[in-house]
This record gives sequence, C-alpha cells and structure tokens, in this order.
Amino acid sequence: MDVFLQQLPQLLINGLTLGAVYALIALGYSMVYGVLQLLNFAHGDVYMIGAFIGYFVMVAFLPPDGPIIAPVLIIIFMMLLAMLGCGVLGVVIEQFAYRPLRNAPRIAPLISALGVSFFIQNAVQLTLTAKFRNYETEKLIAPGLAFDFGNARLSVTRALVIVTAIVLMIILQYLIRRTKLGKAMRAVAIDREAAAMMGVNVDQVIVFTFFIGSALAGAAGVLTGIVFTRIYHFMGFSAGLKGFTAAVLGGIGNIPGAMLGGFILGLTETFAVVFISSTYKDIVAFIVLIIVLLLRPRGLLGARIAQKV
Amino acid sequence: MSRDKIGVDQWVEQYDQRVSRAKGIQGFIEQTSRRLPVWGWLICLVVLGALLPVATTNSFAIRIAGNIALMGILALGLNVVAGYAGLLDLGFIAFYGIGAYVYAYLSSDFTGIHFPTWATLIIIVVVSTLFGLLLGSPSLRLIGDYLAIVTLGFGQMFVQLTTSLTRVDLPGRDKPVDLTGGPNGIVNLDPLSIFGLKATTVVHYYLILLIVFAISILIIYHLYKSRVGRAWRALREDELAAQAMGMPNHRLKLQAFAIGAAFAGFSGGLFAAWQGSVFPSNFDTTLLITVYAIIVLGGLGSLPGVVLGAVIMIAVPDILRNAPLAGTLFYIGVIVTLFSVIKPRWQAIVLIVAIAIFGFILRAVLVGANPDAFTTLKPVGALISDTVRSWLPIPNNAMVVGNYGFAILIILVLAVSRIKRPLWRLAALVPTLYLLLFVWETRLVAEPSITRLLFVGVLLIVLMIYRPNGLLGQRRVEIA
Repeated sequence: MDVFLQQLPQLLINGLTLGAVYALIALGYSMVYGVLQLLNFAHGDVYMIGAFIGYFVMVAFLPPDGPIIAPVLIIIFMMLLAMLGCGVLGVVIEQFAYRPLRNAPRIAPLISALGVSFFIQNAVQLTLTAKFRNYETEKLIAPGLAFDFGNARLSVTRALVIVTAIVLMIILQYLIRRTKLGKAMRAVAIDREAAAMMGVNVDQVIVFTFFIGSALAGAAGVLTGIVFTRIYHFMGFSAGLKGFTAAVLGGIGNIPGAMLGGFILGLTETFAVVFISSTYKDIVAFIVLIIVLLLRPRGLLGARIAQKV
Repeated sequence: MSRDKIGVDQWVEQYDQRVSRAKGIQGFIEQTSRRLPVWGWLICLVVLGALLPVATTNSFAIRIAGNIALMGILALGLNVVAGYAGLLDLGFIAFYGIGAYVYAYLSSDFTGIHFPTWATLIIIVVVSTLFGLLLGSPSLRLIGDYLAIVTLGFGQMFVQLTTSLTRVDLPGRDKPVDLTGGPNGIVNLDPLSIFGLKATTVVHYYLILLIVFAISILIIYHLYKSRVGRAWRALREDELAAQAMGMPNHRLKLQAFAIGAAFAGFSGGLFAAWQGSVFPSNFDTTLLITVYAIIVLGGLGSLPGVVLGAVIMIAVPDILRNAPLAGTLFYIGVIVTLFSVIKPRWQAIVLIVAIAIFGFILRAVLVGANPDAFTTLKPVGALISDTVRSWLPIPNNAMVVGNYGFAILIILVLAVSRIKRPLWRLAALVPTLYLLLFVWETRLVAEPSITRLLFVGVLLIVLMIYRPNGLLGQRRVEIA
C-alpha cells in the first residue's frame, strides 16, 4: 500500500497526460456524433495527419545545428498550422464523403467513413512511407526542465500537454455555451429539422462542427508528438479507437462527457500498465468500456432520453 | 400511371416500376437471374468453378479462386449479420479467428490433440456459435452504434490476446503456459481429411472451398426466404415497427449474430487447414474492411452480390501484384469508366484524344526545356502500359515527383467533382486524367500492396455515394 501511495502522484500525472490527448480526440467524435449521429471513423486519421503537419513544421523551423530561436513560437506555430490543416481536412472529408450521404441509410456514411480512413492511411503510407518519425522535443524543451513534488515529477513537456488541452477545452466550452454558433450547434444536436425551421443554417453548423472537432484532433496529434515523440502512418487507428471509446464512455454526443471519458480512460490505462501488465492495457480499457456500457447504456454523462418515433 | 384505377392501391400497383428494372445487358442479367432457380445458379457456379483446375494448372490462379470462395463463405456470414439483420458487427473477424484457432488446437502438435476433421469442424461451429451468443447477449442490448464500438473492441481484444497470451500462469501448473503461440502463431496443422482422403494440394482445397461455398449459399438462401429471414429484414428496415408487430427483436438479433459467427468460425477452420498455420496477424482490420467491402460492393443482403463482391475484392488486389496485367486492366478500367460515365459517348473519345495531345505538348515543352532532367521507365511487357510509359515524360526523381503528383491528383479529383458545367468539367478532366496516368506509372504500379488498399478506400466512398445499395442490391424506393 505504501508503494502504491508513493507511486500515485506520478501515475496521476502520466494518466492525465494520456487522458488529455484522448479527451481532445474524443471531443471531435462526440461533437460530430452530436450533430450528425455519425461515427466518424476517419477521425483518428485526421489526428495522425495533425501529428505529421506538426512534424513537418518543426523540421522546417528547426535549424540543423546551432541555437534555436524562440522554441515557444515554434510550438505555437506547430499547433496552429496543425489545427488549421486538420480543420480544413475535416471540412473536406465532410463535404465529399458524408454530405452526399446525409439522407442515405445509416450504414452508408459509416462505410464511407471506413473508406476515408483507409484512404488517408494508405495515401500517407504511399507518399511518406511507413517509417517512424520522431519529434525532436528535446531541442524545443530542455529535457531536464521539470517541477518536483516530492514523489512525483511533472516535466514541462507533460505540463504543456495538460495545460494546452485544458485551455482548448475551456475555449470550446465557451464557444459552445456562450456564442451564437455554439447555440446553433446545440440546437442542431437536439433536433436538426426544428433548428433548420428556426432559421439555423444547418450546413454551416455542420461544417463548423467538423472544423472544430478536426482542429482539436490536430492539436491532439501535435501534443502526442511532443510528449511521446514517435509518430507513424498507422497511429490514428488505435488512437481513434481510444478516442472513440472515451467518447462512448462519457456518453457520446456529450461534450463534458467526452472530456471525462478521456481522462478516465487515460488514467485506467496508466494504472493498468503498472498494476496488471502493459500488454493488457488496451484490453483493460475495453473491459472498462463494456462494463460501463452495460451499467449505463448511454455512457456516464449521457442523457437518458426516451426514444422518439 | 396515367389514370387512377378504382379499388387498386396505386402504391402496390406500381411496385414493379418502383423496383426499377435496368435495361440492356444489366437488365438481361437481372431478368435471367430471376427466372433461374437458386440451385440452378449453384450448379452453374460449381461446374464453372470446377472447370478452372482443368483449364489451368497455374497454382497462383487456383489459389486466388480458392481465396475467393473462402472469403465468399466468410462474407455470407457477415451478410446475415449486417445485410439481413442490419447489425454493424465490427468484431466479426474475431469469430473467423476463433474458428481458425480452434482448428489449430484440435489438430496440431501444439496441444498434441489430433481430432478427425469432421469432429473438429463440428466443434468449431459449436464454439464459435457459443462465442457469438456470449458477445451478442450483452452487447445487443446496446443502442444502435454502441454495438459497433463494443464489437470493434472485441475484435481488437481477440488479436491482442492471441498475440500476448504466451506466458499465462494457470492454476495447477508450475510454469507459465503458452496458450496461443503469440505472434509466431501455431504451425504445422493437420490437413483436412474427409473419409480418409487427405487434402494436400491447392486444387483439393479449392474444390472443397467451392463446394462449401455453394452449400453455404444454399443454406443462406433458404434462411433468407424463411420466416426468420423475413423477420430479420423487417428488423433491419424498422426496428420499432417490427417490435410493434410482435417480433422478438432481441432473440432475432441474437440468432443472426450466432449464425453469422458460425459461418465465420467454419470458414476460419477451413482457412487454418488450408494455410496449415494460424497467426494473430491473419485476423486484422484489413481483413474486416475487405469483407465489409465485399458485401457492400455487391449490395448489402444480396447473394449474387456476395459472389460478385468476392470476385472483385479478392481478384483485383491479387492481379495488381502482376505489373503488366495490372497496367492493362487499369487502362481498360479507365476507358470503360469514361465511356460509361460520360454521355454522349463522342465526348469520351474527344477527351482521350485531348489527353494524348496534352501529353505530347507537355512532353515537348518539358523535355525541350531541360532534356537532362528526364529519363524513361523500363517497359513492363504489356502493350498499353509500355505505350503510356514511352509517352509520359518521366523525371529523374520520378518517385518524389510522383508523390507530389499524387497529392495534387487528390485535390484535382475533388475539385473536378465540384465543377457543375459539363464542358468545363470535361476540360478539367484532361489534366486530371493525365496526372492519374502519371501517378499510376510512377507510384501506384510500384506499390501494389498500398495501391490495393487505396483502391478499397476509394471504392467504398464512391460506391456509397453513387450506389448506396451496391452493384446488385435491390434499388429500393425510400418511403418518406
């Protein structure tokens, strides 16, 4: 028990880092599901593209040798370009792969989403090959930099990830709760037809939803790169699956639920690695999901709404 | 209908018009397929299939054909779950894997058990059905899309468990036990043996798979026509209405799930016997998507569609490995697509000529400006490919340029699909198709394994947009 208590703070820090990334991915899933009732399987691949955009921006700005000018600016630039690029990518995917299917049977956009996911993965593999690439985080943030709390060490990198993720979530909450666009989004999520009749431009709202959700995935991609360094063309699959799990865990379509789900999943996995085994961490995550779903079929924070006809 | 008839429901009356019949060759095929009974088709299928080993001794071709039959059986099972009952089961491949592993356990030195084939196959069906019920009974209570995530998780769990269960502490054993062989799998499995005859060659397995495929179609066909089959379709169309009609929704779903799992397990067993080994990597997501592509391509719920889908999805990727053949097929495909999509037809001819001229001009300009930067590609030994290869200006760093070309191609294709004016669109198609040929020759033909997956991805998207009901699916009229 003492060992456990000593490890606890460090585990919490690691779990929160992982959870922050999952939560950002889960938000995109949840937002899209909220307005379209569509499982966007390509979301994980958008996240992967974000990691790659961040990587290439970093390579372009890092001098091969010599001192680095303003690393903070480089990181901000990586984030912004990745978010912008992914946002645009998300909108393009919506326009070409999902919009024509808006009135099709429900399985059609799902299959189309699988197709998009497959296409993006293999397009990246074709053009950038399947090799691993590494973020050179140590050049941007000195590896020794950390806050010490007795038993635990919070490195600046991890702090950056957690803080950035939380800032993004606060901005998102503001956007959804306080702005007109957010109001429109919530209206579309509740009832698309009624919202359209009240003068909400539904197409525009959907485009914005995809843009914001995908931008968050892009940010998650860059943050993953910064903290875990290794990126590759297939990383979107498992991360997408985790983000999806987190979204479902919290109650899909529910924004605070996605954040909560992400953090719970991150913590669960971190604890599973320490107390069970690293090979079973994904399995533990799924077992948790199945148990939660069996107890609360609509997720932790999912509203218990009666099905309408 | 020009005039309303009294006492006749218009909606019922016009049923034949709504299930619109295609004309021409397609219509002929559809008409004939309605007249011939299902066993007639199956006899045709088996006889034609059985002629293949007589016609060719090329084991590569027979292997592909066997693979088509195997994937066909697997797709038939998925067709019951996803096509008839409308359940999005993304863990379907796990049942295939369970079948394969059960076969491996019961007929190899790994466990030291060597059961006769018939007993093994029966056990496989029982075990995979049980697993189907086990996964199905809790998860089918979930609403709609939650089923997809839980089953997807189940599929992933299967792959991870088979990879990692290599050192398990079992009660009553001193040392950790290797349960699955890990990533190295289980090898040296016994071959199938029926009535004392051992299946050893590709041809044997091909014939077995062909016959099993035909029998499976027959079973599924009768299932489809049965009371349960009708209930499934009602469930798929409108769950609430079906329930209101007194259908036991949960039990029906569970039945579909279990039957699908049984078929998957059975085909998995055959697969393990044929390959002679099982590895966790045999059961990854690529296979899942391929099987979904098969049933979606042919039309969800359509039996001839499964056959067609299996032929296309398995044969095309394998053909892609052979560069000359792939090239010829690709160009024929492009030309056929152009002629069937662009109306009137003469515009397609104009387009092809325009691309040729565009290519010559571009070549003259580029090579004229800097002859040192260009080279020629090695001929592959197929007429059309080699002609195109000598006509394209190939830069020295063809791979890099090809990669950029691929990125630009994606943008161009998306842009072209947005152009509304027909003439403008035709004009925009010239550089797009030119670039397509360039990227094909410089990149896609060189990476067959990636190209086939790209092809699957594009196919799924395009098909869903233009024919959400698949190639042979019933064209239903949605009632608003």
